[in-house]
Amino acid sequence: MKVRAEWFGGIASLEFPRALVSINRAMMRRLGVAQSERWTGEDPGHLSAPTEVHLVVSRRCGAGCKSCYVDATAQGPALSESQAKRALDALADHGVFHVALGGGEAMDLDYLFELARYARSLGILPNLTTAGLTLTAAQARQCTLFGQINVSVDGVGDAYRQARGFDGFARAQRALELLRAVKKEVGINCVVSRSSFDHLGDVVAFAKRLRLNEVELLRFKPAGRGAATFAEEDLTPQQGRAFYPKARWLTLRHRMRIKLDCSFAPMVFWHRPPLWVARFFGVVGCQGGNLLASVMPDGQLTGCSFGGPAEASIFDRQATQRALDHGFGAFRDYAQKAPEPCRSCTYLSLCNGGCRVVAQARGDWWQPDPGCPKVQEHQGASFRPAAA
Amino acid sequence: MKNDVEDRRPRILGVRFGVNPNSSSLGVDTTYLLFGGTAVVAAALFLSAWLRGRKAEPIGKASE
Repeated sequence: MKVRAEWFGGIASLEFPRALVSINRAMMRRLGVAQSERWTGEDPGHLSAPTEVHLVVSRRCGAGCKSCYVDATAQGPALSESQAKRALDALADHGVFHVALGGGEAMDLDYLFELARYARSLGILPNLTTAGLTLTAAQARQCTLFGQINVSVDGVGDAYRQARGFDGFARAQRALELLRAVKKEVGINCVVSRSSFDHLGDVVAFAKRLRLNEVELLRFKPAGRGAATFAEEDLTPQQGRAFYPKARWLTLRHRMRIKLDCSFAPMVFWHRPPLWVARFFGVVGCQGGNLLASVMPDGQLTGCSFGGPAEASIFDRQATQRALDHGFGAFRDYAQKAPEPCRSCTYLSLCNGGCRVVAQARGDWWQPDPGCPKVQEHQGASFRPAAA
Repeated sequence: MKNDVEDRRPRILGVRFGVNPNSSSLGVDTTYLLFGGTAVVAAALFLSAWLRGRKAEPIGKASE
């Protein structure tokens, strides 16, 4: 069982059940870690390194989804195999537990499975997101190398075409069936937009029918090609308020594990779940530069795949260490600078003000997430989403 | 947190089940929030028992 020391004690990574468990120093000692240099001094206020990193291996993809958040194209840049392996070496040095391989279409890279094997050899669990449009049975069999694999399905049937701009649903379904035939940890990623909101139940029912293990609902983000349509596709205030009850209902109705991405945290916390329960189960908002970071196709380390400054090159060991120790201020400093209504919000320490990328798209990186119902109430009943 | 750190009893401080294949899905697992405090107690007891007797393999440069 792998453990990484942190100021409060440490984080243990379990293979079964798959989990990252935060434990205190006494528990670390019980597990055989008698002392750590991280147990001295004051609480740094952040982890020593992310627990997981999104490795954007390429911006290369021929699908041409109309809202692709990395603006991927058929000729987009990609890390070479040796660069990707060096990035994994660096992440392993810092004790990163998981990587999410994505892009672009990672499946199109001829070194993807070798990269997954290499990650495993370093003790890092590789996970994958794919559109699945070109997945073959032979590729699917190799996908047992990965932990969780999610296929992007933003709607069922014609709703897929409306969301993505082309008819790829049948191919995505075939990919899910091929993957599910060889492993259990297969799920769906579904982007939630104003136009797809009413059809989420169809996606969850579809996942249940294919015996998938989870549906991850991702907020539509104003990044890449999505920036151009964000004003039309951002959730309405009414949808924002109704979203969490809807997700809970779908969980119960279909007995399906539903996960919501970090940018949905304000919509959840507005319903006031018990704070201590949320803290225990790691229900969090923006964790850029803390739990989560990204490595982009040029090797730059960022707090988030969707935005924020480059902090270091992952290939520069010292710069990466400086960034992990003292960088990521664009994300880590929000709670200290938070204006109202975030400043007085009970959930600030978990939510961290919602999505910085959405805030930026609405005019100011440091403003509270304009999609938060509490923020909308604070701004008055006249609130309406502004143009991006 | 300070009290948790200085606590002499081995304790589970939190848990995140599952793994994340996405750029941004570190967020909310609706399953566990549905069951509230009961889920916390059950998870803490289960994980404490699960960890008992296991041997840690430190990773990361400063974990040793």
